[in-house]
Amino acid sequence: MYCINCGVKLADTEKKCPLCGVTACHPYIKQEEEVPLFPGQRYPTPQLPPRTAQIIITTLFLLPIFITLLCDLQINGAVVWSGYVVGALGMAYAIFVLPYWFRRPHSVAFTALSFMAIGLYVFYINQASGGDWFLTFALPVVGYVGTVVTAVAALLHRLRRGRLYIFGGAFLALGAFMPLMEYLIVATFCRPRFVGWSLYPMTALLLLGAMLIFLALNQPARERMERKFFL
Amino acid sequence: MSPIQNTPGGLRWMPLDNAAKIYPASRSRKWSNVFRLSVSLTEPVDTAVLRSALDVTVPRFPSIAARLRRGLFWYYLQQLEHSPELREESSYPLTPMSKEEVRRCALRVIVYQNRVSLEIFHSITDGNGALIFLKTLLAEYLQQKYGLAIPAEHGVLDRREEPREEELEDSFPKYAGPVQASRKGTNAFRMSGTPEPDGFLNVTCLELPVAEVLSKAHEYGISLTAFLCAAMMMAIQNLQAEQVPEVRRRRPVKVLLPVNLRPMFPSGTLRNFVLYTTPEIDPRLGAYSFPEICRVVQHKMGMEVNPKFMSTLIAANVSSEQIPVVKVMPLFVKNAVMKAVFRAVGERKSCMTLSNLGAVKLPRAMEPYVERFDFILGIQATAPYNCGVISWGDTLYINIIRNIREPELEYHLHCVLRDMGLTATVRSNKGRRS
Repeated sequence: MYCINCGVKLADTEKKCPLCGVTACHPYIKQEEEVPLFPGQRYPTPQLPPRTAQIIITTLFLLPIFITLLCDLQINGAVVWSGYVVGALGMAYAIFVLPYWFRRPHSVAFTALSFMAIGLYVFYINQASGGDWFLTFALPVVGYVGTVVTAVAALLHRLRRGRLYIFGGAFLALGAFMPLMEYLIVATFCRPRFVGWSLYPMTALLLLGAMLIFLALNQPARERMERKFFL
Repeated sequence: MSPIQNTPGGLRWMPLDNAAKIYPASRSRKWSNVFRLSVSLTEPVDTAVLRSALDVTVPRFPSIAARLRRGLFWYYLQQLEHSPELREESSYPLTPMSKEEVRRCALRVIVYQNRVSLEIFHSITDGNGALIFLKTLLAEYLQQKYGLAIPAEHGVLDRREEPREEELEDSFPKYAGPVQASRKGTNAFRMSGTPEPDGFLNVTCLELPVAEVLSKAHEYGISLTAFLCAAMMMAIQNLQAEQVPEVRRRRPVKVLLPVNLRPMFPSGTLRNFVLYTTPEIDPRLGAYSFPEICRVVQHKMGMEVNPKFMSTLIAANVSSEQIPVVKVMPLFVKNAVMKAVFRAVGERKSCMTLSNLGAVKLPRAMEPYVERFDFILGIQATAPYNCGVISWGDTLYINIIRNIREPELEYHLHCVLRDMGLTATVRSNKGRRS
């Protein structure tokens, strides 16, 4: 049988032309069943990536943790200042290194996990320094920003289109949160030197968000921007 | 000290030959230089008999049935204690050989229906050495299965005799000339496309009548290899013209042709003894017609495929491994340097490799049992295509492998051949997948 598009002679194993992809068909010729050149659907097991890099990086993280703890315990006989270093390194590890232990790390799960690590570290600082700002300031701020960023990651993961809407919405949500954040700072730490600063980042974020939504709605404007800013 | 030693257990070991040294250094998790030679029989393969034939054949080829081990300064080959296990065929050939696999056994024997395939890490041997191993294995198989009396001729070795020292030698240093060839050269056009997910490799086999291709080659006054090289260069030129419309931005079209050195130098080695020549055209000077490309290929081959020029290439390769500082450098340093050089220069000097193993000859008694031969090169480390050619009986088998989705080069090659009146039958490993 010959390919009706490119004219190449097809072996009886070919259901589609290997050169142009057109389905092999002829109204009068019935293709005989021949053994295919290679068996279908029998894929070799892929080689797992080596874990050497992860092991080296983990060691590099563990080394300062161990040294810091040892020094602190030697000098003070208890965990005094080393907890901040250990916490910071643990947080950095959870955010930057942990995903690389997985073959296909789930972006949404690891985004949420990163903010949980930040929340935990901030909670530790609050407790270790005897502060009372965690519940009234740190938790709402980290929680809100974490929710917005995780929602962006989830939408980007699920939806193939509409990135301008997603980022525009995220900027609007963050902008709207700015006055609340200022209020939380005032309520928690008192006596601010300058009231109303949140209007500036709020205006910038809302403008940016509105512009992205406008571009998402207006195709000619979007194309114009693409022409101006392509890389 | 003789380069080939026996261990107390009677297993031979030997340093890698000159050409083999780059392959372990340049391999990565996703790529290793492996090639495949297959023979398809007229009947399904009897795996029990094949296993028994392997057990007889493997000790005869201590340099091919081997594993790659690390020394402090160099890699070395060690003969296998046992024959390799038979493997099942996958939906694509030539998956990369991991470090662990090469350390265990650098040779795969794969059975699928009526086909026996060898996949060999290139440090072990070249296509000609592998073909002798395959023919000898096949002879032993047919002898055990059908009780044939097969003489040791046409590349079939006597399985009962001891391996000869000349089969195991590194022939490169013996034939290095007094002058070293320059390694300078322009970078070639890089073909590209959409990578296949999970490393799938597409194999497209074009089958052509040998007599027709040969008579067409003779029309242009060139050999079959030169003709196929010219056709491939024409196809790449057309592909580049389609992909790069601006003439000034086009890059030279270069095809690397491996040259078997055994007919030029009196060597009976079964290890790597192959070098290359790279015919080239520069499309910035204007579109080349097919006869023009044929002339370029013919003259380039005439100039370089001779013992004198090849000895200068050998000298250039051998000299670098004989520098005392290089010799005493630990292996991991050598590997790092060779990998860096390979990545920077290695494959940029050609678009692809076209390796023609020529017409396979077998003892007359074996011929009725053999349907076809296939020779498939693994893809290059950074370029998506490679091409292996072999002929058996009346048919020429051109196996093109690629790791991208678009079969554009195959299509252009088909068009070039079709326009000359050569009709190829095409088959691929995508038939049942898509």
